Amino acid sequence: MKTRREFLQGLIISVGGASALSACGDAANVVATTAGERGRFYTQDEMALISRISDLVIPRTETPGALDANVPGYLDALMSDWASAETQNGHRAALQLISQRLDSLSGDFKAASEAEAVAALSELDSDAFNGDNSLGGYRSLKGYITQSYFATEAGATEELKWVAIPGRWDPSVDIATGD
Amino acid sequence: MAEAEFDAIVVGSGMSGGMSAKELCERGLKVLVLERGPEIVPERDYTDQLAPWESDHLDNVAQDEINQHYYKQYGGVAYAIKESTKHFWVKDDEHPYEEAEGTSYDWLRGYHTAGRSIMWSRQTYRLGPQDFTANLEEGVGVDWPVRYEDIVPWYEKVETFVGVSGSEEGLDQLPDSVFQPAFELTDAEKSFKQKVETTFNGRNVIPARIAHLTDATEEQRALGRSNCQARNRCHHGCSFKAYFSSLNATLPAAERTGNLTMVHNAIVQGLDYDPANNRISGVRVVDAETNEARTYSSRVVFLNASAIASAMILLQSKSESFPTGLANRSDQVGRNLMDHVSSAGVAGIMTGFEDKTVFGRRPSGGIYIPRYANVTENDKPYKRGFGFQGGARPLGNSGGQIAGIGRDFKEAHKRPGPWRFSVLAFGEQLPNPENRVTLHASRRDRWGNPVPVFNVSYGENERIMQQEAVKDAQAMMEAAGCINITTSNANLSKPGNRIHEMGTARMGRDPATSVLNGWAQAHDVPNLFITDGAFMTSSACQNPSLTYMAFSARAANYAADLISEGVI
Repeated sequence: MKTRREFLQGLIISVGGASALSACGDAANVVATTAGERGRFYTQDEMALISRISDLVIPRTETPGALDANVPGYLDALMSDWASAETQNGHRAALQLISQRLDSLSGDFKAASEAEAVAALSELDSDAFNGDNSLGGYRSLKGYITQSYFATEAGATEELKWVAIPGRWDPSVDIATGD
Repeated sequence: MAEAEFDAIVVGSGMSGGMSAKELCERGLKVLVLERGPEIVPERDYTDQLAPWESDHLDNVAQDEINQHYYKQYGGVAYAIKESTKHFWVKDDEHPYEEAEGTSYDWLRGYHTAGRSIMWSRQTYRLGPQDFTANLEEGVGVDWPVRYEDIVPWYEKVETFVGVSGSEEGLDQLPDSVFQPAFELTDAEKSFKQKVETTFNGRNVIPARIAHLTDATEEQRALGRSNCQARNRCHHGCSFKAYFSSLNATLPAAERTGNLTMVHNAIVQGLDYDPANNRISGVRVVDAETNEARTYSSRVVFLNASAIASAMILLQSKSESFPTGLANRSDQVGRNLMDHVSSAGVAGIMTGFEDKTVFGRRPSGGIYIPRYANVTENDKPYKRGFGFQGGARPLGNSGGQIAGIGRDFKEAHKRPGPWRFSVLAFGEQLPNPENRVTLHASRRDRWGNPVPVFNVSYGENERIMQQEAVKDAQAMMEAAGCINITTSNANLSKPGNRIHEMGTARMGRDPATSVLNGWAQAHDVPNLFITDGAFMTSSACQNPSLTYMAFSARAANYAADLISEGVI
């Protein structure tokens, strides 16, 4: 655990510099990953799929994306260290289903172009949020990706403008002017 | 009798024990506080300074660990039990309890310095005059031996020390406290307030009253406390000591007198009784870590172990004089166990505020709707009433549960989104002697103490009241112009789940039907006081911690008077 002094120093650094890649702080069990590697939980194929989906769901824009923030590594740690065997098995089965659906939508998802991949995942996503209950595992995955991203330093501070110590409560801020 | 080692022993260091200790110490008495759990050191054990990215796995406790250690606690308060806060909650497998067939009970708690005052949700309200007379007027339970006016000076004393943010409203049924400035309502809440108060004569929508400093006094600053920083990290402890806990306030105040001795890991197993002078002569403890047995002595004993644990200590303290447990000639010890009762939460979307957001994370509460049932509205098919807690805030970050991928999806999480208004009723539970905690006949915990058995069920009054509360909430949402109004699961909350246990050693006027007199002093044993939730003769519907502390301060000063007069 960090002392308050270390914590405040960390804040100063993160405010002052581009820190997109120091995404996971001192979460010691999160390893930086690339799509070509296997994780502690994910196989090489699963890691490639997770990485591709994470990048499509939360791409790099003016702020870091899911891959910049090492979301696949975060999910690998989540599944290794947090999930029960039941959750792990359910997640693994969901990935299989998602992979099959994406392949059937795009021909071969791994080989798909950017545009084809976006189209395939958009369609699957639309099904998942429009009553296709067989895709509950995809909704869970999307929740993990999103929550993990916003729990990283990049997602929290650069995208959401999360502030550690607001110092005051203002119940009425005009969005347009920020007042 | 040999000379006592201490003037007073306080069993428990939580909400009420901290206040008992402070007041006794400030009266110049030598006080021993016995805490059954380990010491919490804020610099080491508070986790409020952790940033989101400094916790593993989204700060969730591993699922296998929940199933093994926190199956009851997590089931009851999943929102509060995180990887970075789990050390504030008991492990259920180490601290088991049983439930009578066909019943269930949530006993949610932590064993450490300051007890649940570290994890409480900080809503802070006085009882009103009606709460002290309802039993008498309705012929329910027994009459409180105290009236509202008796406790007012003690509320004022405690509030001034604790620090309560709130607004002066002048309501008879929910009297104003000594306040620091309230957390201002959001625009959606102000609109809700205006419409509800116009539509329903006699109903009020007020800022929640919470034990957070917003204008710290000199006395509070001298204890190292400062104003709330609007972080809403309170379940992790507060390094600014901005919210009240006994570790942030009463225990340091007791400590600085030089009269406090604090012993951790001391589990009280029983109170020794001396029939020759009708006094408790010793407090028997076992060390939680070494199993070493010790006995401490004092002139007066305050039980502040929590309503359930204090009752169990009495039930465990059997003697020839008290074969069913110390101070239990009335047979009321462990009975009348009450909590507050909720059922469905009601929520709706308030349109018209899409161009607004908030800055800062308001801790606890937003609005409170004080009790109106059987106060200003007397057409109810039930006794007593309820208050609503709730508030409005932008729906905000959906955690990924919206359709879409790519830039639009990513950026949707930055927008505040529509405003969601939600309320939840906290209702009064009537005292019922059949709702009780007893000692298991044979099952023991690892220290050899009997495990508790709960037998608690809600009655018809609670059921009908909560059905009506949900209807009322829906009607107020409609009046305020909410759309998409939904209600959650309509079952009643589990007994214990509101974490307001009380009533197990009730006050009363008659020693034959009550355990304590109006000073929270045992009818049967003059040097025994109980000022945790056990003394509550009825539950009212207000969050009770402030009342426990006011009665603790009053009892402590009364006991100090008796000691100085040589009576005990």
